[in-house]
Amino acid sequence: MMLRKVIAVFLLVALILAGCGDQENQGNSSTKPGEVQKGGNVSIPIVGDPIFNPWHPNAYAESNIVNRVLFQGLTKPGLDNSPTANLAKEWSTSDDGLVWTFLLKEGVKWHDGEEFDAEDVAFTFNDLVLNEALGSNGASNYKTLDKVVVVDPYTVEFHLTSPFAALPSYLAFNSEILPAHKFEGVEDPWDYIEFNKENPVGTGPFKFDKYVSGQSLTLKKNDEFHNGAPNLDSVTFKILPDLNTQIAQALSNELDIFVLEDKSSLKRIEQASNLDLVTADITRYFWIAVDQENPKFQDVKVRQAMLHAIDRETIIDTVINGYGTVANAAITPDQKQYFKDDLKTYGFDPEKAKELLKEAGWEDSDGDGILDKDGEKFSFTFDIALQGDMEQIAVLVQQYLKDVGFDVKLNTLEWNAMIQKNIIERDFDMMLNWWSYPSDPDVLAQYHSSNAGKGNNIPGYKNEELDELLEKGQSTSDPDERKVIYDEIQDHMAENLPYIYLWYPQELSVRNSRLSGLPDLHFGGTLHYINEWSVTK
Amino acid sequence: MLQFLIKRLGQSLVLILIVTVITFFLMNLAPGGPASMMRMDATEAEREAIAERLGLNDPVTVRYGKWLGNAVQGDFGPSLSSGEQVIDRIVDRFPYTLQLAAWTVLFSVVIGVVLGIISARNRNTWKDYTINFGSVIGLSVPSFWMAIMLILLFSVQFQLLPSSGTGDDAGFMDRFKSMIMPVIILSTSTLPTIVRFTRSSMLEVASQNYVRTARAKGVKERTVIYSHALRNALIPVISIIGVLIPRLLSGTVIVESVFGWPGMGRLIVEAAQSRDYNLVMGVTVIATILVVFSNFVVDIIYSKVDPRVKNLA
Amino acid sequence: MSELTQVGTIKEPRQETRIGTFIRKLAKNKIAFISLIFLVLVHLGVFIGQFIWTVSPEAVDPANALASWSATHPLGTDDLGRDVLSRLMYGGQITLLVGFFSMVCTVLVGGLVGATAGYFGGWIDVVLMRFTEAMMSIPNFFLALVALTVLGKSPVMVIIVIAFTSWMEIARVVYGETLKWKESEFVEASNSMGSNPLRTLFKHVIPQIIPTIIIASTLGIAWAILTESAISYLGLGIQPPTATWGNMLQNAQQYIWTAPILGVLPGLSITLVVLAYNFLGDGLRDLLDPKHHNK
Repeated sequence: MMLRKVIAVFLLVALILAGCGDQENQGNSSTKPGEVQKGGNVSIPIVGDPIFNPWHPNAYAESNIVNRVLFQGLTKPGLDNSPTANLAKEWSTSDDGLVWTFLLKEGVKWHDGEEFDAEDVAFTFNDLVLNEALGSNGASNYKTLDKVVVVDPYTVEFHLTSPFAALPSYLAFNSEILPAHKFEGVEDPWDYIEFNKENPVGTGPFKFDKYVSGQSLTLKKNDEFHNGAPNLDSVTFKILPDLNTQIAQALSNELDIFVLEDKSSLKRIEQASNLDLVTADITRYFWIAVDQENPKFQDVKVRQAMLHAIDRETIIDTVINGYGTVANAAITPDQKQYFKDDLKTYGFDPEKAKELLKEAGWEDSDGDGILDKDGEKFSFTFDIALQGDMEQIAVLVQQYLKDVGFDVKLNTLEWNAMIQKNIIERDFDMMLNWWSYPSDPDVLAQYHSSNAGKGNNIPGYKNEELDELLEKGQSTSDPDERKVIYDEIQDHMAENLPYIYLWYPQELSVRNSRLSGLPDLHFGGTLHYINEWSVTK
Repeated sequence: MLQFLIKRLGQSLVLILIVTVITFFLMNLAPGGPASMMRMDATEAEREAIAERLGLNDPVTVRYGKWLGNAVQGDFGPSLSSGEQVIDRIVDRFPYTLQLAAWTVLFSVVIGVVLGIISARNRNTWKDYTINFGSVIGLSVPSFWMAIMLILLFSVQFQLLPSSGTGDDAGFMDRFKSMIMPVIILSTSTLPTIVRFTRSSMLEVASQNYVRTARAKGVKERTVIYSHALRNALIPVISIIGVLIPRLLSGTVIVESVFGWPGMGRLIVEAAQSRDYNLVMGVTVIATILVVFSNFVVDIIYSKVDPRVKNLA
Repeated sequence: MSELTQVGTIKEPRQETRIGTFIRKLAKNKIAFISLIFLVLVHLGVFIGQFIWTVSPEAVDPANALASWSATHPLGTDDLGRDVLSRLMYGGQITLLVGFFSMVCTVLVGGLVGATAGYFGGWIDVVLMRFTEAMMSIPNFFLALVALTVLGKSPVMVIIVIAFTSWMEIARVVYGETLKWKESEFVEASNSMGSNPLRTLFKHVIPQIIPTIIIASTLGIAWAILTESAISYLGLGIQPPTATWGNMLQNAQQYIWTAPILGVLPGLSITLVVLAYNFLGDGLRDLLDPKHHNK
């Protein structure tokens, strides 16, 4: 009896206390126009524990977000998405295109007070990136880099083995510079926990404050930041792997900005008065790759027929709520200088698809609904990794292909298993995925015949004409010349479909309306300008 | 007593060893490798370099031997996904799981015993049926579904409770609020069992002679319940707690995922998915030790409390 | 008034009740009876329903995604326009089958281990029961996670993994029961006649512990269904696009903001079926196991 009374009182008190808790205030006031509010904190979700070292083999996804704020690269994406000065003031190329000279900004300080200079650049590239045994994240982007030479404390030279016009763009892409003095005497930079997990030292607008594994990371403002002290006092990265939790927190003003990968909760967010939805173009395209070594897929008409069979518009509308445009080549619309928008396109036309297939010799001669040729049926397996929207997209694609007579079997895999099978072993008939790359049209890595099999040319497409064009595009620095070359490349891609292009997704980000000062870029790009962000109370 | 202890210790060690062997070989059967090798754009050269660095090119048995050699010295090696020492990562996360587990056990035992007594004393009345019905429902609802429903209700709709995190930075009140939903959900797997066990235990004890004797002697009803019946009825309940602990650990995997609670349960899922061999091994070993240890403690308490067993030990 | 003043134990009822008497007695426990009827209906609906409601669970119709209920789709459509009723049916088939076969494996393994240990005693007893206890004290859900990550997520693997994590409790219970019945007269008589111990085990002991096994099976299916949904939630269970109640729940998670009904239906199905099995198991226990006899 007594016991019961005690319990009842305990529960009652607990309930009351829970109800009396402090509630988050809704952000509603605004600042006077022209006045930038100083102070405050911005909260950003990440899905896992970050590693404070952009070159560490495990530093991708969530780490990229954090490292962009902690560290700085030689260049950064400008407001038009082409590379602009950052730690490097200006740069120039030698006539043969093999030596790039970068003049570095002076007076930049590391978070621990030391001066930034050429030694840091040399260390980052010579000791980390170019050291093959380390397997640095993104090292393959610098295949043509031979070494970095220190000319004087504020001048470095990048010595290349062959011309690399995209160098400045790549330097803006997850290629931040690390402090040489912190790594002195360190044997294995990837095991250097003191830096990578505990006390990173960078040149970014915010420096390390507090980190609790699995929970959150707090960075506080760096008053000595080379582009001026940031407006915000601090930035908090909350570790939230669950999307619904992110949305719940955004709705209750506990998160300020994040990218919405999954469009299923869109309507709810649209209803929220404290949240804005912002779309941006990004350098990403979704594609289907068919095994180009497989004779079935080698006839271009077959690939073209596939595209006619798939109703890309409907998939875009259904799965990603219309936030995407049909793609016909690898250069994305955000690369305004190079994107060609009058390419050959393949509208949804199942009849045309069947016609093309007939021309290629494939017809349903026995009425079983499946295409056949010389007694062979057009059957194959379609591998996808269960990640994000992939399953939904794949099921729809499968249906469309089946409708014109392909016998498609869907094989869903876990991400790691997919990488092992499709990428490492190159064992697939058809697969679906996407490429994300720095804002430069140089896509040689994914299309050159030398990269089939072991490199990033996943479908294994080999074409001399395309190879030549790609090589030319990579070595020419003159933008006008490059435009001509890449126009030709895009035409070739649209006609011959080395990859079967699906669409260019638009990035959709959720932002709390109290945020201001963000440039008109995709989320990743705005992070380079986080020193200009501010929040209204 | 000492002999018993030593025997148990030996058995436990063999057990842990077997678990490590099974886990190690199982992990290495998995397609793919550690996540660092598994990026879309990693070239073959990069993958080779990483495999070499992590010692993945040695045969499995050799790698197990190396691991074991280090493990017995307390060195579980670096986490393959971050380079931090596995033991540090576990130590970081472990207290959070312990927190949840401790509060859940406390909550379940206190409420469970009370409800069980009520149930037993009012058997076959509406009180009994309601409690039983509630118990069965608790056991039947999928925990993550209930979790999401609760979050929708209490976090989004009423904004009463935080939907995730531990509220560490804020005061005691925030930390307490953060634990309410996770503990409730975890309790759905332990509370009903304790209720039923207490109930049936009480019923059984009540029919025993010594209780009837006490009653016949005119002892007050309340004393009969609390001094005589309850004490003896609780003995089997203690033993059931031991059984519930592994179930509790399993529950934390899901609860920690939904509520963003940085505990060990979530760690193992992350580790398995990113093929972080060292971390998986470390967490499995620690979890096994935990369970073995708690069973051990429960057995000791049991032997001290139950006079029948006390005399044997 | 306290009901603890109960009379002593009741004489063991004879085990050879006929189905009719059995159902009659069960009917006295209304909840258990309702559960039984409910389960029969659910199974009929899920397995036979496909011949009446012939819409395919895989047919996508993106233009019609997340539709509310209508004549063509009584329970609406999911995110790809697939018919929810159909998916619930086919998903139910898999969930219930997985539950059933997991239970069968669990009972077979657990029952065999427990009965063998209990009946033969000696070192067999020690080895088997120590092994069982050992298995109980490892965090087998963790191992199950690792196993599923590694060995793939086919229905067979899921069944094996569920059985692997559940057989121990049944082994313990069967062990206890076997010990009890070992001392019974049938067995003594059989042994004194010089029969094969194995034969005695199967002919005399096991029939006596069948009630316990039935109870354990019923509760075992409930547990298996819950475990399957938990595994699916973590993305380690049977993979989409094949539907199971568990992975339908997992898929519906993203849509709790825009179409919460997608999560309610499979969640409710799981809960109700598991509830029914639990109540049925309780009812059977009241009926067949005198110690828990309520009346």
